[in-house]
Amino acid sequence: MIKVTHVTKTYDDGKVRVEALRGINVEIKNGEFTAIVGPSGSGKTTLLNIIGGLDTPTEGNVIIGETNIAHLSENQLIDFRLNHIGFVFQSYNLIPVLTAKENVEFLMLLQNKSEAERDERTTKLLKAVGLEDQINKKPNEMSGGQQQRVAVARALASKPDFILADEPTANLDSASTANLLDIMYRLNQEENMTFVFSTHDQRVIDRAKRVITVEDGKILSDIYA
Amino acid sequence: MIVKIAFKNIWRNKLRSWVVIIAIALGIFGGLAVISTATGLSKMRQNNAIRTYVSHLQLHDSAYLKYGRLDDTINQQADIITYLEKSKKVKGISPRLKVESFIQSAGGTSGVILNGIDPEKERQVTDLAEQCIAGNFLERYKQKPPIIISQKLATKLNARVKTTIQCSFTNNMGVPITGIFKVVDIFSTSNSMYDELNAFVRLEDLQHLTSIQGSHEIAVVLHEEKEVEQFREELISKFPNQHIASWRGIAPDLGYADKMMDLVMTLFLIIIMLALAFGIVNTMLMAVLERKKELGMLISVGMNKRKVFWMIIWESIFLALIAGPLGIFSTYLAVNFFGRVGIDLSFAAQGLRSIGLESTLFPILDDKYYVIISILVIITAILSCIYPALKALKLNPAETLRTA
Repeated sequence: MIKVTHVTKTYDDGKVRVEALRGINVEIKNGEFTAIVGPSGSGKTTLLNIIGGLDTPTEGNVIIGETNIAHLSENQLIDFRLNHIGFVFQSYNLIPVLTAKENVEFLMLLQNKSEAERDERTTKLLKAVGLEDQINKKPNEMSGGQQQRVAVARALASKPDFILADEPTANLDSASTANLLDIMYRLNQEENMTFVFSTHDQRVIDRAKRVITVEDGKILSDIYA
Repeated sequence: MIVKIAFKNIWRNKLRSWVVIIAIALGIFGGLAVISTATGLSKMRQNNAIRTYVSHLQLHDSAYLKYGRLDDTINQQADIITYLEKSKKVKGISPRLKVESFIQSAGGTSGVILNGIDPEKERQVTDLAEQCIAGNFLERYKQKPPIIISQKLATKLNARVKTTIQCSFTNNMGVPITGIFKVVDIFSTSNSMYDELNAFVRLEDLQHLTSIQGSHEIAVVLHEEKEVEQFREELISKFPNQHIASWRGIAPDLGYADKMMDLVMTLFLIIIMLALAFGIVNTMLMAVLERKKELGMLISVGMNKRKVFWMIIWESIFLALIAGPLGIFSTYLAVNFFGRVGIDLSFAAQGLRSIGLESTLFPILDDKYYVIISILVIITAILSCIYPALKALKLNPAETLRTA
């Protein structure tokens, strides 16, 4: 479970002070398929970054499982992210010099998993996202949709507690978006994987089981479908 | 995997990587080429001096060096020559009688050192015989005693083969002595200054003219140059009353040139490594800045900063590992080729001769420089990518991911 309590985030460069989050309280249970929505500058990406341990809150706590990540050091956060959080980014962010298989395998290598385990899981994940025939292709040899599916497989490879997806469909066409949502929805249903999206995309919002709307750094609404 | 990614990363921008690799290789090649050329020049000058006039060792009577009197000959000559002839280290010896003389022909005059030599023995220690144009190293003559003079002196005296020459000097009693010689050959060494100041006659002719037996100087050449200092010590302990000097002592400028060359080479190595370092810093910094987003992603998904740091270091090491051997191998080929064939500098032959050099240069590069350069390249590559790697570590993943 993800538990965010009284989280504020203020950016202050000495000249300009911006309050990106103002006392956010939210709980996301295991197995949820949640979309965080809101206009640009509303704070949804900041919230996602804080949940993902990419940014630290100015005040408040972020408890994932039993760990308050707001109090972890930088190196502890990196290790925590590796073992507990999967990331899917808007622009895929695959490693361009590696093949699809190597990209998926990468996090398991960082976790020092055995070769047999890596091979088995990589094959299984690429099959799950429908790319079993693309394993030796490099990102520049694949379409945007295919790359994002590899990114999903990569996010799942480290067996995370949940997946954070920052605008995952923003660069995809309709068919690819539908395909990607189907895959993520199936993983959510079949494997009880928790997904948290930040998105503008109505197609994602339509598929979400819960929609949290953020505006001016506050939660405006929190609706279960 | 980190090493694999690092290796693949350097081929992302093939053109840039190859430009850097070639630049590093050329830097190494250029630096080593200059070092080998300079070593070749220094060695040539040193060898020429040793072959032409210095030899490895010279023995004199101490008083002769101090006062320069004609009768200050080597007083233990027979013992010394016997000892030298028995030594297996010695390749050749040549006793010389030296007289400062006024030389005169119908066409001009000059001051020279008249060297009385035994042609056969002189052949063992110098290559003067090979420098004679007609190949008559005081061996073929009729009535008048033979003399060989240099091309430069011949021009000054307006003399040629068969010209009669008159040499005048005074003995210790102040009595003027004149000898008449016939030019039998003309020589030309790579040292024009030496040429101008020296003429050669047969030892017995000069002994007869000066009424002095013995010699002022014994030149010694060893089989191995590296044994010179050790053998000198041996001779000093055996003949303590003689002044015994090695080529470094006789021509200190040659020894200084050696030391100077070491200093120059060190400077060149520093310059090569600095150029290499700046090339790598520039390339790696660009590579890091271009990949900010990707590096941010790697940190985001859980790649710790130690691994990011080592990935950058490995990229730099790979660049150096490709460029280094390329530069070193091309240098090796070039030095070996030109070391055999030589580099033709005949367009500057006259200038080179005036400083004791020949017009064909043979570059030389000690094997140690290949090893030193290899080690330095790796060390420089590692050191020079520390700054770009540290720059990568300072990346904030949340910020870098926001940049599209």
